Amino acid sequence: MRRELTLTETPIDEATWVAGRPWDASNGAVVTFSGVVRDHEPDGGIRALEYTAFERMARHQFGLLFDEAERRWPIVSLRLVHRLGIVAAGETSLWIEIVAPHRGEALAACGWIVEEMKRVVPIWKRALRTGQSGPAH
Amino acid sequence: MTVKVHLWSYFRELAGCAEVEVPMPPGSTLGQLLDELYLRHPSLAAMRNSTLVAVDVEYQGPAYLLQEQDEVSLFPPVQGG
Repeated sequence: MRRELTLTETPIDEATWVAGRPWDASNGAVVTFSGVVRDHEPDGGIRALEYTAFERMARHQFGLLFDEAERRWPIVSLRLVHRLGIVAAGETSLWIEIVAPHRGEALAACGWIVEEMKRVVPIWKRALRTGQSGPAH
Repeated sequence: MTVKVHLWSYFRELAGCAEVEVPMPPGSTLGQLLDELYLRHPSLAAMRNSTLVAVDVEYQGPAYLLQEQDEVSLFPPVQGG
């Protein structure tokens, strides 16, 4: 399985990532997921989220998830990009692409990766509220 | 031995620092380290039930036997995505 993990403070240019997609005609499924910063939560408006990470452990834990995904499903390629730092409302904070022979395994693997990363990968976010210049939990 | 404990996310604000060094007798467990840490930093003790604990880059439970040079990390539930 080809794998690629990027943790970056640079905005995610999805078109550029898609253009770099590894591909051959034996693959019948490409699943992409984009997590986007909402501009509101039930308790108020949000202008951005600030992401921080224990980066060395985050890379290790992502690696373990990639290993497990490869064990569970016949994935050809798994690429994941996660923003760190301040991500404005409307911007993509997480982008995942999975290429596989069939849609079932690609969809299942993508959903599983998102759920598991929210359980074990040490990345945190805090809201920067609309009308505030500083962070708020 | 002295165990270095790294704090992440808002645990740093709760404790007022990013890392703490805790002297522990040889043969101590991770659970015993946490008991000692919470005595020194009661603000962290309030978060005990939801705290995640790692040694180096692996999650570990309270029965883990601490080794010389181990570095421990404490952090709140993760929130990536």
